[in-house]
Amino acid sequence: MDKLGIDLASFIAQLVNFGILLGLLYLVAYKPILRMMDGRAARIKESLEQAEETKKQAEAAEVEFKRQIAEASKQGQAVIERASRTADEIRQKAQEEARTEAEALITRAKADIRRERDEVIDELRKEFADLTVLAAGKVIGKSLDKEAHRDLINQVLEESTQLRKN
Amino acid sequence: MPEKKKIVGMSKPVFIAVLLVILAVTIVSFLAGGIGQALFGIDFPEWLTVKQPEPHLPPAPIFHIGGFAVTNTILTAWISIILLVLLFWAATRRMKLIPGRFQAIAESVIGYLYDFCTDIAGEKNGRKFFPLVATIFLFVITNALMNLIPGYNSFLINDGNHMVHLLRGANTDVNFPLALAVISFVMVEYWGLKTIGVLHYLSKFFNFGPLINSFKNFRKEGLMGVFNGLIAIFIGLIELMAEFIRIISFTFRLFGNMTGGEILLVSMLFLMPFLLALPFYGLELLVGFIQALIFAGLTLVFAHIAVTPHSEEASENH
Repeated sequence: MDKLGIDLASFIAQLVNFGILLGLLYLVAYKPILRMMDGRAARIKESLEQAEETKKQAEAAEVEFKRQIAEASKQGQAVIERASRTADEIRQKAQEEARTEAEALITRAKADIRRERDEVIDELRKEFADLTVLAAGKVIGKSLDKEAHRDLINQVLEESTQLRKN
Repeated sequence: MPEKKKIVGMSKPVFIAVLLVILAVTIVSFLAGGIGQALFGIDFPEWLTVKQPEPHLPPAPIFHIGGFAVTNTILTAWISIILLVLLFWAATRRMKLIPGRFQAIAESVIGYLYDFCTDIAGEKNGRKFFPLVATIFLFVITNALMNLIPGYNSFLINDGNHMVHLLRGANTDVNFPLALAVISFVMVEYWGLKTIGVLHYLSKFFNFGPLINSFKNFRKEGLMGVFNGLIAIFIGLIELMAEFIRIISFTFRLFGNMTGGEILLVSMLFLMPFLLALPFYGLELLVGFIQALIFAGLTLVFAHIAVTPHSEEASENH
């Protein structure tokens, strides 16, 4: 034992040394470092979970966003369609009205024209009848029964206008 | 301009000069070393020659505190304790969530040891074993590496009668490995007893169960059962012996490797002072790491075995 150097005092001293080192290292190394590493692991885990959560939220938001866009687009489409339909209707109606009005105008104009023409014709006829009577009176040289002649002429003219009108 | 040819990153004349210097150093160290002196006996100034080493195993006392002799190995153990604690204290003084370089190094060392423990013994037990295992590893490797610091063995002190080394690696003092081995043994047995219960734990070593069962089932098993029971007791006693022999194997594995390494180094320094020792320094770096890892690792493994219930195999046999 002596040759090897085993010595009780040294042995105990080394035991104590080890104990002291264990205690000190526990205080300055193991405890703080393990706590720090555990804390960091927890923090990283938390961050990862948070990131996962955020990602999920973002995905949900994106889905919702897409859905809203689709809906808005659909609504817009519907609005456009309705507007276009309304525009068509309005145009048709306007056309309709314009045509009706134009027709009415034409009709009235035609009626006016016809009336005026008739008036002119009547005038002409009257004057013609007078002229004819006058001419005939002049030709015959004697005054005929003015009224009777006129009636006769009128009757002829009436027939002729009726003939022509028909 | 053509690029000059370079050899090992040096231009040709520099390389030749370096080679010559190495050659000269080799020749001088060979002639000044033990072999050269024995062959040629050229007189060299005393500062070039190395005295023949006289390794002796017991550590030398440096001074006394009261009746207690402080040996050079205890002194180095203290130095390594102070060194380790100071380093870790400096590294963990201001812990930050995002570590600086120093803290990161300390954390990676501790993290490596911690992972080592939890990988072998599982999360819960690994955490329990970790302080002991890590302390053994750090203590042994610090002592081993300090031993390799140049000039570490150069301080001599007069202890009254003759010159002794002021510093000597604690691993080379048999008391140090013995103390570690005893601590390792005590802790392993303590954990075993505490975790799986005194009776259950001791039943591994005093295994009378099979013998008693064989008497109960004597009609069925006959003498063979009694024989098996006796064998179980014998095996248990051998296990008990192995448990104690661990102390010795732990002690002398570390002591032998480290002392042998040191003697190897001083012998090589004596044979050829300058160059020959270099590869052995590299070797000793590796040996120090491996011995520390083995001491800590075996403690861990034995602790893991001790806290693992051993009834499973036994109950399967019935």
